[in-house]
Amino acid sequence: MTSPFDKMSEQFTRNLARFSSRRGFLSKLGVALLAAPALPLLPVARTARAAEPKSVTPKTDFELHAQTTDDTKCNYWKYCGSDGVLCSCCGGGSHTCPAGAEPSPISWIGTCVSPEDGRSFVIAYRDCCGKPMCGASKSCWCDNTDREMPTYRSSLNNDIIWCFGSASATYHCSTAALVGEAK
Amino acid sequence: MLSPRANYLLNCGGCHGLNGASNSRLVPDLKDHVGFFLNLPEGRSYVVRLPNVAFSMTTDEALTGLLNYVVFTLGGATVPKDAKPYTVREVSQLRRSPLTEVSLVRMRQAMIRTLIDQYHATSDLRLYGVVDSSSTPSSAR
Repeated sequence: MTSPFDKMSEQFTRNLARFSSRRGFLSKLGVALLAAPALPLLPVARTARAAEPKSVTPKTDFELHAQTTDDTKCNYWKYCGSDGVLCSCCGGGSHTCPAGAEPSPISWIGTCVSPEDGRSFVIAYRDCCGKPMCGASKSCWCDNTDREMPTYRSSLNNDIIWCFGSASATYHCSTAALVGEAK
Repeated sequence: MLSPRANYLLNCGGCHGLNGASNSRLVPDLKDHVGFFLNLPEGRSYVVRLPNVAFSMTTDEALTGLLNYVVFTLGGATVPKDAKPYTVREVSQLRRSPLTEVSLVRMRQAMIRTLIDQYHATSDLRLYGVVDSSSTPSSAR
């Protein structure tokens, strides 16, 4: 004895077999598969992708910890290539020499990235010269190396005493002067 | 891509100064000086073939823009009126034969003698290379 359910499912299967073909189904499936990548992404997905950072340059160790408020600390953002004792700990500023010391007219130049907007700025690493070395606390001694090069590229090396060109070659302390945006 | 000015600062400005002059005895002035060299064909190529120029960490395109900025902007009125800007092709070829086997000092001296005598160049070109004992580097850090 056949149940009404059996009859219904049999009828459905027969109709399916009579009115559809496997080839027709496959061709429709193929069109759908081909068309899928061509269709625009949902707005949600597109917005999410646009919010991702555009820059692919990985941050340096210095840049990950840089700050913009205290220029007597080695992680102040403009000091990304500074090597030496900070003039801001010696009575000067981040880009000014203490009284009695003279900025060398010759320096090396690099770039530092501002943590506030990610823009890159040209920095002139000028030493202050003409006084004995500043005796500041250990926390004012920095050895950062962003964009600095080994001695064989001496014009970009920060181990050099950049005091030639000034009246006295005696090193006192280090500054980092912002020159402009690197663009 | 960086501007010619930014490329100048990053590759030359530390020693030559932000605007082309720092210590005239230790580093040749570019400001209101460098254009004189373009009066001589060997001067035009000398500017590109100098080791620190030819070996600079720049592409041919960036170096060409940089050199034109140095010569025509920093050089100011010292550039001869008929001087043409450097082309990428010219710079690309010249930097492949850097001046590594000659006395740069003697080569420069011979050129500036001609420039001062025949092209009314400033005698300030002679400042570079004058030894001043008060500015000798030491290692006192």
